[in-house]
Amino acid sequence: MRLGVDETGVTEVMGVTEHTRALATAAAGLLIESLDSERALVPPLDPGFAEGPVKAILGEIAGWAETAMGRRVPPVLWRVLAHNPHYLEATWRKEQALMSDGALSARDKRRTALGVAMAIRGRYLIEYNAAILRRAGDEDRDILEVLGVVDHYTTLNTLSEGMQIESDIRPPA
Amino acid sequence: MTTIRMVDPDASSDTTKEIFDAVLRREATVFGATSVSNIWRCMGHWPALLEANWARSRALMQRGRFTPLQRELIATAVSIGNACTY
Repeated sequence: MRLGVDETGVTEVMGVTEHTRALATAAAGLLIESLDSERALVPPLDPGFAEGPVKAILGEIAGWAETAMGRRVPPVLWRVLAHNPHYLEATWRKEQALMSDGALSARDKRRTALGVAMAIRGRYLIEYNAAILRRAGDEDRDILEVLGVVDHYTTLNTLSEGMQIESDIRPPA
Repeated sequence: MTTIRMVDPDASSDTTKEIFDAVLRREATVFGATSVSNIWRCMGHWPALLEANWARSRALMQRGRFTPLQRELIATAVSIGNACTY
């Protein structure tokens, strides 16, 4: 609610945060080491062998990935989730709904997601979000600017939690 | 409950008070603060920590290409993820 963001904007930040953390947990749980790795606890599905709704969704993701990331193949996490059509569809639809333009721009949401991934050291999601941002035009200095905020707020969060400091910052009436 | 007493900016040394004054000017601009927030007051017990973190705050939160809102979005998300209630 600071800096002119209303409740919808705040809720969008919450949604982007929990979504990123959930995807990072999925990637870590599946032992996916990086965006370019094909190794995972469950092998990624070859889109050429997909059928029915999974084939359609992976095709959709492939089209998006080519535009948003400059990659023709769907990122490995989506291909692993493709072994469970319901899991894939629900998660991909959530990604689309949460990460597109809303009260906050898609690019601001993606930078926020990158910050969350950095804060929890989620390598796959760091690479995933950074690739999308670079494709959108972000440069090294922009990536470092996200990291700077993450770094500084890790400091402030540590101090405030360690000293159990009561918040004295209130939203405007 | 807070485990440390807050430093009174008015009872601080000249150097520390200068930093508190700068913090308050910044916080008044960003979110209408009328007094220095607790997170900075707690650092006042160790002036070197206060000075170092204020310098980093200026470098990381006040300079660069992002807007204040863009930085605040990231900061909020990181704080949510760290379960920081402050």
